[in-house]
Amino acid sequence: MSRPIEFRNRVKVSERHGAGEWTVEKAALLVLIPLGVWVASTGFTLAGADYQTVFAWFSSRLNAVLLAVTALVFFGYAGLAWKVIVEDYIHRPANKALLLALVNVICVVLAAASVFFIVRLALGSAPLPAGFGA
Amino acid sequence: MTHPAPSSGDARDDQTGRFVTQPNGRVRPLSPHLQVWRWHVTMTASILFRVTIGAATVGAMIAVAWLAAVAFGPDAYADALAFAASPFGLFIGFGLTVVLFSFLLNGARHLINDTGAALRVGPANLLSNISVWGPVPLAVLFWVLLFVTERVSL
Repeated sequence: MSRPIEFRNRVKVSERHGAGEWTVEKAALLVLIPLGVWVASTGFTLAGADYQTVFAWFSSRLNAVLLAVTALVFFGYAGLAWKVIVEDYIHRPANKALLLALVNVICVVLAAASVFFIVRLALGSAPLPAGFGA
Repeated sequence: MTHPAPSSGDARDDQTGRFVTQPNGRVRPLSPHLQVWRWHVTMTASILFRVTIGAATVGAMIAVAWLAAVAFGPDAYADALAFAASPFGLFIGFGLTVVLFSFLLNGARHLINDTGAALRVGPANLLSNISVWGPVPLAVLFWVLLFVTERVSL
């Protein structure tokens, strides 16, 4: 649904949801920059670490929550970013719709998998498959 | 003087992006801006940010695979660590750090420019040059520190 044409500060207000997506992208990027610095420092800490060290790292609630937030915000951001890329280069409506659906499915699956693994590790669950599919 | 014909002769079937559909439904050729604009470092920074997001998506998939390896227990983690410590694994690891620093620097540049700041030629060039070249020395420093602190070895 398009809204009627409207101007704010002599700039046309977007008729659909484009401006909202743009704002979400900026907010996500703003959150991802400090989280990215934290990811770099975490990567430095855990590089070459043994299993016990990594397992102990996940038992910290702060680490687990920050990593889960990073995964959720990043895959949300990546989904919007790939949407822009697909819309820029793919012009046949059917191909575009298919690729956008694929991008969304991949991002949701990766975000869900990340949270699943992080929650298990944070709770100190037994190593997978742990009964799944066994 | 001859001009190469579009693939099918129908602008509506064009996949090259050389035609755009106007809001009134008419199909018109896109302005030939890429042919007439002199190359500029701001263009490199902009293109590299898009490339970085693509590479960061692949990097995030590798990170999820690492999470899976930890969640699948010590044996799976040992396999993942052995791969990461192999020459090819270290090469991938170095690439991932370049991508991460590129995401941070270029993302910061993008956010600053999105507010309308630093869009004059001098500051825009400065931020673009930092975003384009900065990730490489930062990644080298990161890996030098990893080797010096003996977290990683060949």
